[in-house]
Amino acid sequence: MTRSLKLVGQGAALAVVAALLALLVWDVTHQHHAPKVGAAAPGFSLRRLDGDGTLALASLRGKPVVLNFWASWCVPCKSESKVLEADYRHYGAKGVVFLGIDFHDVTSDARTFVAAHGLSFPMVEDGSGSVTQNRYGISQVPETYIVGRTGTILAHIRGPINGSSFSAAFTRGLAEALRS
Amino acid sequence: MILKLLAVAGAALLLAGPAAAACTHPRTSLFYLEGQVMCPTCHTTLDQSDAPAAQRIKAYIQTQIDKCATNQQIEASLVANFGVGILAAPSHKGFDLLAWWLPIAGVVLGGLLLAFGVWRWSRNRDHEAPLGGPHSLNGTSPAALDPETERRLDELLAGLD
Repeated sequence: MTRSLKLVGQGAALAVVAALLALLVWDVTHQHHAPKVGAAAPGFSLRRLDGDGTLALASLRGKPVVLNFWASWCVPCKSESKVLEADYRHYGAKGVVFLGIDFHDVTSDARTFVAAHGLSFPMVEDGSGSVTQNRYGISQVPETYIVGRTGTILAHIRGPINGSSFSAAFTRGLAEALRS
Repeated sequence: MILKLLAVAGAALLLAGPAAAACTHPRTSLFYLEGQVMCPTCHTTLDQSDAPAAQRIKAYIQTQIDKCATNQQIEASLVANFGVGILAAPSHKGFDLLAWWLPIAGVVLGGLLLAFGVWRWSRNRDHEAPLGGPHSLNGTSPAALDPETERRLDELLAGLD
């Protein structure tokens, strides 16, 4: 009786250690990483900030897409927004779709930001960060992805696109997107 | 100067009066909610964060408090906006209940195991010394004496009578 109890206890302790180890391995292997250039852009469907319903990335397949991740509390996003809107007006006429993804934000703040900066391209909101953090591996905004017609990532800009080092990468990415 | 102060105080009373009177329940506080709500970008509670996102959420909570919203209403609106991860503590229903009960179950199980271990240890000790007397110098108990030694001991003790 005593011996079997001891065995059960040892078995239970081993099971607990194995479970904790498995949890650690699962956590390490499921870290969120940014998708690489050349990989398929992770799909999503998010609530629209500028209207009712949702907008899915899949519905934009066949068009070059600029995914801009931003937030109203993000200081660099303010200066970036002017350039982004100007680029939208220029490249939007050529068939490029611009989509703003508002991240970890209060909805009313985000709408105020959009109105204050005169942003006219489509916007969706990702309050929980389920897409921005978990699928695109973004923890700080702004960041921008350029996705080709086939859904492949062509460029990834970590920082505001109006920055001196990023604007060239953004323009190159857009040119590639139009060729794709 | 006094007239100006009186005018300002009067205006403040006029503005604050209806707002305070509109609340039919005790107002919640930003201080309380700051400890219940997480900063989504820094993963600490709001009271430990000065991140821009945390500042905006604090401002939002304050506007909701000013509108007489209850704790539950404010938390519900934050969950609708940011998801359930915005709350520092898991909810008291469904799968989240596990987060509350598992630690308690762990403590109870640990206590039971400890009690069982102590009981086993004390029982073994009693078994080793059933007479409750002192152990001999070589570590054997009186019950462990061989018959010959026991006979000699009885003789010695009889000699003392």
